[in-house]
Amino acid sequence: MSAPALKEGRVSAATLPASRMKMTADSSGRKAWAPYLQVAPLTLVLLLFFAIPVALVVVVSFFRYQMLVGLVPDFTFKNYVDILTNPTNWSLYLSTFKFTIIVLAITFVLGFWISYFLVFHVRNLMTAIALFLICTVPFWTSNIIRMISWRPVLGREGLINQALQGMGVTAQPLDWLLYSDFSVIVAYVHLYTLFMIVPIFNSMARIDKSLLEAAVDGGASRWGVVWNVVLPLSKTGIALGSLFVVTLVMGDFSVVTVMSGGLSGSVTSGMFNDLQFLNYPRAAANAVILLIVVLLIAVAIFRLVDVRKELVR
Amino acid sequence: MNYAPTSISPAHSVHTKGAGEIRLVNLTKSFGDMDAVKDINLTIPHGSYCCLLGPSGCGKTTILRMIAGHETPTTGEIYIGDDMVVGKTPVERGTAMMFQSYALFPHLSVLDNVAFYLKMRGVGKEERRTRAREMLERVQLSHLANRMPAQLSGGQQQRVALARSLITNPKVLLLDEPLSALDEFLRLRMRGELKNLQDELGITFVHVTHTQPEAIALADMVVVMDTGRIEQAASANEIYNRPATPYVARFMGGQNVLTGRVESISPTGMVLKSEKGEIFNAPLTGAAPKLGEPVSISMRRDRISISKPQNGKGAQQADAVTGVVDSTEYQGSFVKVSIVLDGGETFVANMPDHEFFAEPVDHGVPVVARWKPEHVHVLSKADTEGTKDPYAGSGH
Repeated sequence: MSAPALKEGRVSAATLPASRMKMTADSSGRKAWAPYLQVAPLTLVLLLFFAIPVALVVVVSFFRYQMLVGLVPDFTFKNYVDILTNPTNWSLYLSTFKFTIIVLAITFVLGFWISYFLVFHVRNLMTAIALFLICTVPFWTSNIIRMISWRPVLGREGLINQALQGMGVTAQPLDWLLYSDFSVIVAYVHLYTLFMIVPIFNSMARIDKSLLEAAVDGGASRWGVVWNVVLPLSKTGIALGSLFVVTLVMGDFSVVTVMSGGLSGSVTSGMFNDLQFLNYPRAAANAVILLIVVLLIAVAIFRLVDVRKELVR
Repeated sequence: MNYAPTSISPAHSVHTKGAGEIRLVNLTKSFGDMDAVKDINLTIPHGSYCCLLGPSGCGKTTILRMIAGHETPTTGEIYIGDDMVVGKTPVERGTAMMFQSYALFPHLSVLDNVAFYLKMRGVGKEERRTRAREMLERVQLSHLANRMPAQLSGGQQQRVALARSLITNPKVLLLDEPLSALDEFLRLRMRGELKNLQDELGITFVHVTHTQPEAIALADMVVVMDTGRIEQAASANEIYNRPATPYVARFMGGQNVLTGRVESISPTGMVLKSEKGEIFNAPLTGAAPKLGEPVSISMRRDRISISKPQNGKGAQQADAVTGVVDSTEYQGSFVKVSIVLDGGETFVANMPDHEFFAEPVDHGVPVVARWKPEHVHVLSKADTEGTKDPYAGSGH
């Protein structure tokens, strides 16, 4: 983060008019350290809370684990080999990917249409803001409460099952509603849709309304307008929202544990198990692998959409 | 945009005569409890260049948007050719709109912007690109085909928008303040190009503007609007020389408006007497007004002559007003002399510069402004706006 900031500083100095350049040159002796001082706080925060911890994890991932002793400094690839050859780990990754893709698809569809509705259908700005705030209401309570509140809805004696039985649709309560992949996905969608709505809403709000009319003028149908104008111009928001959802789901541990009743796991729950046996090196190796995987997904997303360019615009 | 005659594709002559006639019948548009457009009736002939002129908020853009199909009338009907078009899509109407902001798709190249209509029609990629390239050639932008809109200047963007509109082969081209985002030089150039283009295509142009010279220069038909109503719809010449109402006279800017009560009527004309006792001769047009009825007259600014009062006799003369010079503005070919009349109204005389400099007047000099009775035009409505500055809000 500090490197681009410094680069920006140099660029803006280079584009200054000549007269001001001279002034900067004159005072350069005294003021050369000023920009470094300005970026110092952020650099320190990033070093302390991001770079150093990540470096520690990477270092520890090459340590050796010894039963009853714990960490033994070493340089071994054993932890990585362990993880990559363990079928349980592969299935955990597979299940995490599965959840990620399903949740990404659902939150994208929901996020896109909710944003579309708020931006293009609600004509009154106050109404749009009010509706937008309603979307954030679930975030006024804690994660855990929001998850647990699904139990009385989805449980065997829950709202849905009682309603279905009451209407005579089913004789027996449906088991797959709670403590299943279904309930995990429901909770993920509930928790993370807002992370999709906000960036998409933001990029849609910036679309000039006359573009939609110009498309209609050019013979586009309703779908034609969405497909040819709204969707391409919301790409940045979709990319950012996807990034949020992917990182949140890939790194999740509690939702999957609580909502599946321990039946499903995620990559992170594998790390949790290692940590309980004080096997820090293997947990660290797993964390490094997960980090690389998520980074690769992020790179892929940024390849598809030049988010930086769009944000600058 | 020098459109060589050979470059006009024959496709543009397919519209039969009368196909681009626009008829608005009892058209009203309300937003909440406010009427943006009130019960308008207007016929724009096929192949004419029509300018909707008025200050901002007068409803001119709303009318344009209703013709385009981007706004639904609250009541009333819109006909293009013989078809009632309310509820139809722009393509079904045969209209194309050029937006004030140009509304180019920022994510598409210039070529794909122009080809958008063809893409929506399901024309194959190669063919639509070829046809879009031909259209770009006509507006002399083929060398920019692969640029993105953000990389173009305002004038270039406008040409792309024009090309994108024309590729739909419209019967009616609707232009929403098309020149307002351009600098003065480009504005004048594009103005000429638009006029030439309309001559060549022979389709109906409806052009919304708040600039009087633009309307005068371009339009076969000028529609002057005020708060949702049409004040006058006529040729530019008619509007400028024979405004129907004091509002039009003031808004077009070339006229002075005076009001008096009918003192006497003769077969050749009538005599008006203002509240201050000035006597104005006016021709008799149409039905004769009753004695004592207020009547407003107008006279062109460039038909006024100015002299210094001689022994205070000026006020007694007919067809003259007295006042004090407020300001003079040199305009190149003429000098605009603003006079504050004794009653506080502003009266403007545009004097040829050689005449002015022969006997210059300056701020604070008392003067008599005179005109010939044959230059007096009688307005159909008596002035009720009183002493309002004729230029307030008109921008000129």
